Amino acid sequence: MARKTIFIDFSKCIECRACEVACEREHNGKSFINVFEWQEMAAMALNCRHCETAPCVEVCPTNALYRDKDGAVILAPQRCIGCLMCGIVCPFGIPELDLINKVMGKCDLCAQRRAEGKEPACAATCPTDALIFGDFDEIQRKRREKFTERAIEVAKKAEKISLLGV
Amino acid sequence: MAEKLVPVVCPYCGVGCRFYIKTVDGYPVGIEYATDIPGISNENGKLCPKGNAAVEYLLAKDRLKKPLKAKEQGKFVEISWSEAIKEVAERLKAYAKDDPNQLMFFGSARTFNEPNYLIQKLARMLGTNNVDHCARLCHAPTVTGLKQVFGAGAMTNTYKDIEEANVIFIIGHNYAETHPVGFRYVLKAKERGAKVIVADPRFTRTAWHADIFLQHYPGSDVALINGLIHVIIKEKLYDPKFVRERCVGFDEVVKAVEKFTPEFVEKVTGVPAELIVEAARTFATAGKGVITWAMGLTQHTHGTENVKLLGTLAAICGYQGKEGAGCSPMRGQNNVQGACDMAALPNVFPGYQAVTSEEKRKFFEEFWGVELSGEVGLTTVEAAYAVDEGKVKAYYVMGENPVISEANANHVMHVLEKLEFMVVQDIVPTPTMEFADIVLPAAAMLENEGSLTNTERRVQWSFQAAKPPGEARPDWWIISEIGKAVGFDKDGSKGFIYNDAADVLREINACTPQYRGITPERLKANLAGIHWPCPSPDHPGTRVLYKERFLTPDGKAHLAAVPEYKGPVELPDEEYPFLLTTYRYVGMYHTLTMTARSDALNKRWPEPLAEIHPDDAAKLGIKTGDWIKIETRRGVYPIKVKVTRTIKKGVVGVPWHWAANVLTNDALDPVAKIPETKACACRVAKISEEEAKKLMEKLPSIVPRIEVVKG
Repeated sequence: MARKTIFIDFSKCIECRACEVACEREHNGKSFINVFEWQEMAAMALNCRHCETAPCVEVCPTNALYRDKDGAVILAPQRCIGCLMCGIVCPFGIPELDLINKVMGKCDLCAQRRAEGKEPACAATCPTDALIFGDFDEIQRKRREKFTERAIEVAKKAEKISLLGV
Repeated sequence: MAEKLVPVVCPYCGVGCRFYIKTVDGYPVGIEYATDIPGISNENGKLCPKGNAAVEYLLAKDRLKKPLKAKEQGKFVEISWSEAIKEVAERLKAYAKDDPNQLMFFGSARTFNEPNYLIQKLARMLGTNNVDHCARLCHAPTVTGLKQVFGAGAMTNTYKDIEEANVIFIIGHNYAETHPVGFRYVLKAKERGAKVIVADPRFTRTAWHADIFLQHYPGSDVALINGLIHVIIKEKLYDPKFVRERCVGFDEVVKAVEKFTPEFVEKVTGVPAELIVEAARTFATAGKGVITWAMGLTQHTHGTENVKLLGTLAAICGYQGKEGAGCSPMRGQNNVQGACDMAALPNVFPGYQAVTSEEKRKFFEEFWGVELSGEVGLTTVEAAYAVDEGKVKAYYVMGENPVISEANANHVMHVLEKLEFMVVQDIVPTPTMEFADIVLPAAAMLENEGSLTNTERRVQWSFQAAKPPGEARPDWWIISEIGKAVGFDKDGSKGFIYNDAADVLREINACTPQYRGITPERLKANLAGIHWPCPSPDHPGTRVLYKERFLTPDGKAHLAAVPEYKGPVELPDEEYPFLLTTYRYVGMYHTLTMTARSDALNKRWPEPLAEIHPDDAAKLGIKTGDWIKIETRRGVYPIKVKVTRTIKKGVVGVPWHWAANVLTNDALDPVAKIPETKACACRVAKISEEEAKKLMEKLPSIVPRIEVVKG
């Protein structure tokens, strides 16, 4: 089964932080996606990657982290004991401790929205399509297609010029 | 529980995005993206952070709920609607009887077309053309400049054309930050292989995506654009057929740009000569090009000249009257274009029909059934000085906040204090309201319905999504009640009797040629809206203007020659060694009346930061996080520092949302009457936090507490 997640094209990010505000609205005032600026020249949004072999799921002693049917890594707060193991093993530092409830919190790929057949809020709102909700293979295929198209276009142009004898 | 999705237009910027408001029993609970409406300006329902937070300001705790009357400055008593309307109508009538030009009306680019039409109708029926709105402070030069070159002042193309262009020249405009959803089309063009040229004194988020970045000094635009035209003419890269057939005045342009060699322009603007040559070649040879600009270009004493030069640049390259090309001035608020079309302007009737034209005036005298003034009225800044002279005595301010938005704010506050009578009609307390005599609580845009015209001339209908709080009423209702109370209670177009906003739009259809076919029924059925001009109910609307001829009397583009380079009127000197410019934050909106009431936005953009180049900062001995005071000939402003290489050396950048206009210059462009908000001389000094706090008290408070006392 093709598994969908959010891919990030940082060459398109304009640091408008619409994703953060949208995530915050969907998750009761807490944003699980964060935009980082790099040397005032570029920016990148970072959220949970829902890794293929997710270290957080493997390390969780209480099985509070699990995969739902779409393949998203979900945290069940009632099973979480706030041991912070998932936060430590995550290479991106994604799971965060909720200081009031002393349980972890993380991106759930907007489970509620997916149940209604909608995209996660951050990808749905991103004005520049820097965030894409999709299947990895499909995204790769589209990119290959696009670059091939460009190459063909350039080749055609070159052909025209050589026919004119330039 | 009845859950509903109501299609609305975003209450923020000029892109005019659509989205749904989710309501439960008429109470707004959230939003949903409009992914299912084809052809809207925000493709796939995309929204920027402001749109995402749109519900929050509706639920602000300090919304105005009852009409208020001032006992003394800033202290109010609650009164009933009938008392408020009676008092306003009587005062207006008294001033009008004496001399109608003692009155000044402010329309609003943040509310629908209908109230804007009504407020100018009220002003004009009372006998004065003193009516204006905030477009004076943003795009007045665009209207006057483009009118002289092409015959009309609106965007000549649509977003679709930006997407289809091969080169996009962005000048004086931080597109990515001011209109993130509009910038989508620039990136889509870039993905297709288009080149992006950005000219800005700051290395902005827009510049991140530029192929060529021209970092010029604030206010040196005339030299820069003339330099580009110089190279294009010298290297014969212009479109000779288009110039020959559709333009006049080319020879003057050739003569005027002669001295603007890349070397000369490098000296004036600080942009390397080879970059100017490269930009000119890239722009002229692309085949299809779009120029887009905003306040960085217009808010200058030479704003009109800047715009005329851009029009000339587009015309000589043949980038007019075809798809994928054109001039795109980007409007700041969702209805700037509409408020201009509805003639919340001192010199025209609805549809840009000049008040000085005998024939047009005759038509409206007949239409409204009163005698009208043929004298051009006062603009916002002129009105402020007329108050000083005692000529204007009363302001009616609908949905505007001049204390924060106008240049030289200290002078504006002094003027408002001097007024005999001021009515403020708004949704939340604003610093302007502290000076009001009567406060009228309005329903917010999303609590009310009507039509809006976005920056690409697209007229859309926004539906009512929530109930207004307390006794707040729609803008059109308030003005029509005042109109009736003044005595204009005849039927039809001769009075102010309306049942709903659609009634008003029908009257607009009847007197505005561009809107003739844009009926309320059509708009409600077609959520994507219609681009004006739309001369009849079966016309599909117009995407690209000037396909056959321009709207000038002879049908040709009148190229503009600007042989003299003029910088800002106030240049750095020994006393004030820096050049100050202003800009905005993506998550904050204009005078903060709406965004400052959203937690999600306040958290991310909590305070202003002044941008200073590392070399300048080292000289002044300041580092990021220090407090400084910026001082100009007009005011003092305390602010924290951000040291950054993204700003040009010798320039200080300040976001203007937090009342930075106490600093800016109100010297006017002679044609468009726009103040030079974007460039003035300033000096900078390090101060302590205590001193900053002390200085802060003297600034107008962004979220004022209006005190309501017992009668």
